[in-house]
Amino acid sequence: MSAPWLDVLDDTIRACAAHNRPDLAERLRDKRARQLDPKLRVLVIGEPKQGKSQLVNAMVNAPVCAVGDDVTTTVPTFVQHAETPSAALVRGASIANTPTERIPVPLDQLASEVSASRHHGGDVVRAEVGIPRALLDSGLVLIDTPGVGDLRPAHTASTFTALLQADAVLMVSDATAELTGSELELLKQVMTSCPNVIVVLTKIDIAAQWRRVVERNRAHLARAGVTAKLIPVSAALRLRAAKTGDKALNAESGFPELLACVRQDIVAAADQLARRTVAVTAASAIKQLVAPVREELSARVAQGPEKTIAALNEAQRRIDELRRRSARWQTVLADEMADLVSDIEYDLRDRTRKIMREVDKTFETADPALGWDKFEAWLEDNLTEAATTNFAWLLDRSEWVAEKVAKSFPVARDDLLPESIFRDDVLDRVAPMDKPVIEKFGVMQKAFTGLKGSYGGVLMFGLATSLAGMPLINAISLGAGALFGGKSIIDESDQRLRRRQAAAKAAAARHVDDFFIKFSKDCRDAARHIQRSLRNHFATLAEEMQETLLESARSARRAVQDDNTERERRNRDAKRELDDLVQLYQRVQSLAGGQAPPLGISA
Amino acid sequence: MMPAGELGPGVTLEDEVWALLEDALVVYRDSPRAVAWLRGHQARFGEPVRVAVAGAPRSGKSTVVSALIGEEFAPTGATTWYQDGPQAKAHVGQYEVPVLRRDGKAFVDAPDAERVTVEWPSRSLRDLTLIDTPAGAPVEHVYGEADAVLYLTRHLHTTDVRFLQTAHDHPVARIAPVNTVLVLSRADEIGGGRIDALSSAKQIARRYRREATVTPLCQNVVAVAGLLAVAARTVRAEEFTALAALASLARTELDGHLLSADRFVGEDFPVRLDPAVRRGLVDRFGIFGVRLTTTLIRQGFDTQVKLTGQLVQRSGLGELRDSIGVYFTERREVLKARAALLGLDVVLRAEPRPGSVGLAASVERILASAHDFRELRLLAALQGGRTRLPGDLEAEASRLVGGLGTNPVVRLGMEYEPTESELRHAVLDALGRWREHAVDPALDHGQRRAAAVVVRSCEGMLAQVVA
Repeated sequence: MSAPWLDVLDDTIRACAAHNRPDLAERLRDKRARQLDPKLRVLVIGEPKQGKSQLVNAMVNAPVCAVGDDVTTTVPTFVQHAETPSAALVRGASIANTPTERIPVPLDQLASEVSASRHHGGDVVRAEVGIPRALLDSGLVLIDTPGVGDLRPAHTASTFTALLQADAVLMVSDATAELTGSELELLKQVMTSCPNVIVVLTKIDIAAQWRRVVERNRAHLARAGVTAKLIPVSAALRLRAAKTGDKALNAESGFPELLACVRQDIVAAADQLARRTVAVTAASAIKQLVAPVREELSARVAQGPEKTIAALNEAQRRIDELRRRSARWQTVLADEMADLVSDIEYDLRDRTRKIMREVDKTFETADPALGWDKFEAWLEDNLTEAATTNFAWLLDRSEWVAEKVAKSFPVARDDLLPESIFRDDVLDRVAPMDKPVIEKFGVMQKAFTGLKGSYGGVLMFGLATSLAGMPLINAISLGAGALFGGKSIIDESDQRLRRRQAAAKAAAARHVDDFFIKFSKDCRDAARHIQRSLRNHFATLAEEMQETLLESARSARRAVQDDNTERERRNRDAKRELDDLVQLYQRVQSLAGGQAPPLGISA
Repeated sequence: MMPAGELGPGVTLEDEVWALLEDALVVYRDSPRAVAWLRGHQARFGEPVRVAVAGAPRSGKSTVVSALIGEEFAPTGATTWYQDGPQAKAHVGQYEVPVLRRDGKAFVDAPDAERVTVEWPSRSLRDLTLIDTPAGAPVEHVYGEADAVLYLTRHLHTTDVRFLQTAHDHPVARIAPVNTVLVLSRADEIGGGRIDALSSAKQIARRYRREATVTPLCQNVVAVAGLLAVAARTVRAEEFTALAALASLARTELDGHLLSADRFVGEDFPVRLDPAVRRGLVDRFGIFGVRLTTTLIRQGFDTQVKLTGQLVQRSGLGELRDSIGVYFTERREVLKARAALLGLDVVLRAEPRPGSVGLAASVERILASAHDFRELRLLAALQGGRTRLPGDLEAEASRLVGGLGTNPVVRLGMEYEPTESELRHAVLDALGRWREHAVDPALDHGQRRAAAVVVRSCEGMLAQVVA
C-alpha cells in the first residue's frame, strides 16, 4: 500500500502536467524520487562566515569540512554514513544530475583537493564524505553548502540547487548579531521548498550577549511568521569537549540538544517529515497553478463581452447611417437632375434664339435666292455648335451630379462613380432643313410685268397729251410708259424679294424650331437616361453596402452569442479546474495536519 | 608645457571654485533659497572633511566612530555628526541637549531626532568631521552630505556590493569619483575569536583589495576590530589592573575559563575578580579582546601605555587612520571642491536663469580640466581596470597620481627621507620617463592620455620641490 502522501503527490504531478507546467511536474517528480529514497538529506545553509562547516564538523566530531577565516566552502559537501572513512570529489553537469565521475581522495586532503580543482577550472559539483557515525547510521546525510550572498554567484546557485533536494534544513546564523533582513528573506525562501527548518545560532562562545540575541531572533522569527526551533550552540566548545572528553563542556556547547532535536524531529519523524515536505512542495506548486486560473477567471469577469458587443453596436450604427444616407442621395439625385434639365433647356433655347435673331438680321437685307447654300451651311454649323456645347454641358453637369450623389454616400469607394452613363446613340441627326420655295423672276415675267406697268403710263400720258392734240401714242406717252413699266418691274422684284426673305425666315425658324424640339427632347431623354443609370448604379452600390453591413452586424451578433456560450463554457471549465485544485489543496492540507497555510480562495 | 584648459599658474583649484561660488552668489542674489544653499556650501568649504560611516545594521558603525574619536559613544539611532569643539555639547536642530553618561558611555538623549550634532574636544576631529549614519540610510543621503565614505561590513555581502555600486553609478560619481574606504569591521570575530584572528582578517582584507568586484568600488580595504580599538583608546586603570591580574594566572589555568564568554563570567573563577568586573571586561573587550590582552601582557606589554599602543596597532585602527589620512584628509582640497561644485550644480539645475548657463559651463570646465579631478579619474580608471598600462607602469602611475598618498615622497615611492636634491632628481627622472610614455607609439590613445596625466602630476611635484 502506498503512503497517502504519495497519492497526493502523484495527483499534484498530474495536475501540473494538465496545466502545462512540466517544470513544476519535473520538480515534484524529483521530490517524489527523493522521498522514496531512504536517505534523509539535511542541508546546512546560511550566509557566509556563520560557521556552517564548523557546525557539521562539530556534529560528527570530525574535521570533515574545511573551515577557514575567509570564504572556504565552494562546493556542497555531503557527509554520510560509511563503514570506513572515505572522501570523493564528484564531477558532473549539476549536483542534481547523475554524477559523471567520482574521484576518491584522502579524507584529510579533501579541502585542498576541492580548492585545487577549482583553480584548475575543474567542474567539481560536490564533495562526498563517508564517516562511521551513529548519527548518520539511519541514512542521515548532512550537506554543508557555500554561503548564500557570497560575491561569487556560482556558490549561491549551487546552494539553491542543493536546497531542492533537502528533506530538512539547518539554518545557521552566528550569535554575534541578530538575524538580518537578508537572512530572514533567505529563511522564508527556504520555507517555501522545505518547511523542516531548525535555526542554529552558532558561536555562542564568543558572544557575551548571545542570550539577548536568541530572544531577539525568536521575536524576529515570530514576526516573520516562521515557526522554527532555535537552538544556540558553540562548535568550538563541542570540539574542545570531544578532545578532552569533558561532558560538562559538551552539554554547555548546546550540541546534545541539537543532536536530540535532529534525531527526534528529523530522523524519527521521517514519515511526518515526508508528509510535511510533500505538503509544502505540493502546496507551493498548486498555488502556482491556481494563480493563472484565478487570474483568467477574474480577467474574464473584468473584461467581459464588451468587445464583441461594441462590434455589434458599431455594425448596427453603420447600417442606420447607410439607410439615412440612401434616402438623402436619392433626393439629391432627383433635385439635381431636375435642375439640370431645366438649365439645359434654357441654355438651348437661349442659343437657338440667338441664332434666330442672327437669321432675321441677315434676311433683312440679304436675298435668300443668292446665298441659300451658304446660309444653310452656316445655320447648320451654328446649330451643331450650340447642340455640342449644350450637350457637353449636360455631360459635365451630369458627372458633377454623380459626384455630388457619391459624396452623400456614407462610404468612400473607388468604384463609386459610374464609368459611363450614356448610350452611344444619344443624338440622332435632326432632319435636314427644307429649302424655302424661291420664285423665279424670269425675263418673260419681267417683260410681262414691265408691259403691265407701262400700259397704265402710256394710257395715262396718251390721254393727257391727246387733250393737247397729240395722238394717244406719242413720244411722251411712250416715255412715260417705259418709265412706268420699269418701275413696276422694280416694284415687282422688290416684292418678290420680300416674299423670298419672309419665306426663308420662316423656313429657318421652322428648322430651328424643329431642331430645338428634337434636340431638347433628346437632351431630356439623355438626362432621364443619365438619372436612371445613376440611380441604378447607386442603388446597386447601396444595396451591396447594406448587405455587407448587415452581414457584419449578423456576424457580430453571432459573435456576441458565441462569446457568451464560449465564455460560460470556459468559466465552467476554469471553475471546475479551480475546484479540483482546491480539493487537492485540501488533501495536501490534511496531509500536513493543518501545517500548510490556507490558500485564501473559495471555490 | 601646459595642456589647454588647465588652470593658470598660481591659481589653485580652491581659489577657482571659491570665485565660482562668489559669481553664483551674484547671479542668484535675489533668490533667498539659492543664496542660503550657496552660503552653506561656502561654509562647508572651510570645514574639515566630512566622512560618513555607513554600513549594514550591526556592522559596528558607532563602534568605529567611537574608536576614531577616542571616546565611547552610545549610538543615537539618528544621523549623528561628530565635530571638533571646545567643549562637549550636542545639538538637535537649534536646541542644545546635554551629553550624558550611561554605563561609562557618552550618550545623547534625543529619541526622535533626525539629526544630532555632537561637538567633542578631540584631536582626531580637528581635520575630520565624522557622520554616523543609521543603518538602511539611502545611498543619496549618505553620499550627498559626506565628502568621503567609510563603508563597514562584517563580511562583504552582495547587498554591500549593491550599495557601493549604486553610489558609483551616480552620474556625478563618474565625473568625480567618490572616495570610499571599505572597512572589514568586527575583525576580532573571525575564526571564532582565535588569537590570530586579526592577522587573518588583514589577509582577507588584502584578498578583497585584489578582488575584481571590489577594487572598482573602493580605494582601500582595511580590517578593524572595532571593539578592541575602542577599548584600546579608552582603557581604564581598573580594567588594566583586572587584566593584569588575569595575566598573572598560568596560561593553562586561564584557558579553560576563556573558552566562552559564559565560562569567563561564571562561578568558581581562580582569581578574586567580581563577576560584574569580568562581565564589564567581556562586554568592553569581547572574549577575543580578553584573550589577546592577557597574552600581550604576558608577552611583556605590561604597562597601560605599552598595551594601548599594541592594541591600537593590532586592532587595525592605526591602519584605518592612515587610510583616512591618505585618502581623505590629504585630499581635503579636491574633496571640498568636488562637494562645492556638486552643490552649485544642484542650484544651476533647480533654478536656471540667464547667468546660470555661463556658470554651468565653468563647472564643467573645472570638472573636466582641473588636474586634481583628472588625477582622481585616472586613479579610478586604473583601479577599475578601465585603463590598463603594461607591466609595472600601472602601479607606478597609480602611485604618482597619488594613489597611496599625495606627498611627493610617497608619490615617488621613496622609502626613506630624501634630501632635496635627491627628491628633485627622482622627480626629474619620473618626469622624463613619463614624457616618453606620453608619446610612446606602442601605447594606445587612452594609455598615452593616462601618461600625460602622470606627466602633469610630475610637473606639479617639480614645482612643489623647487618652491
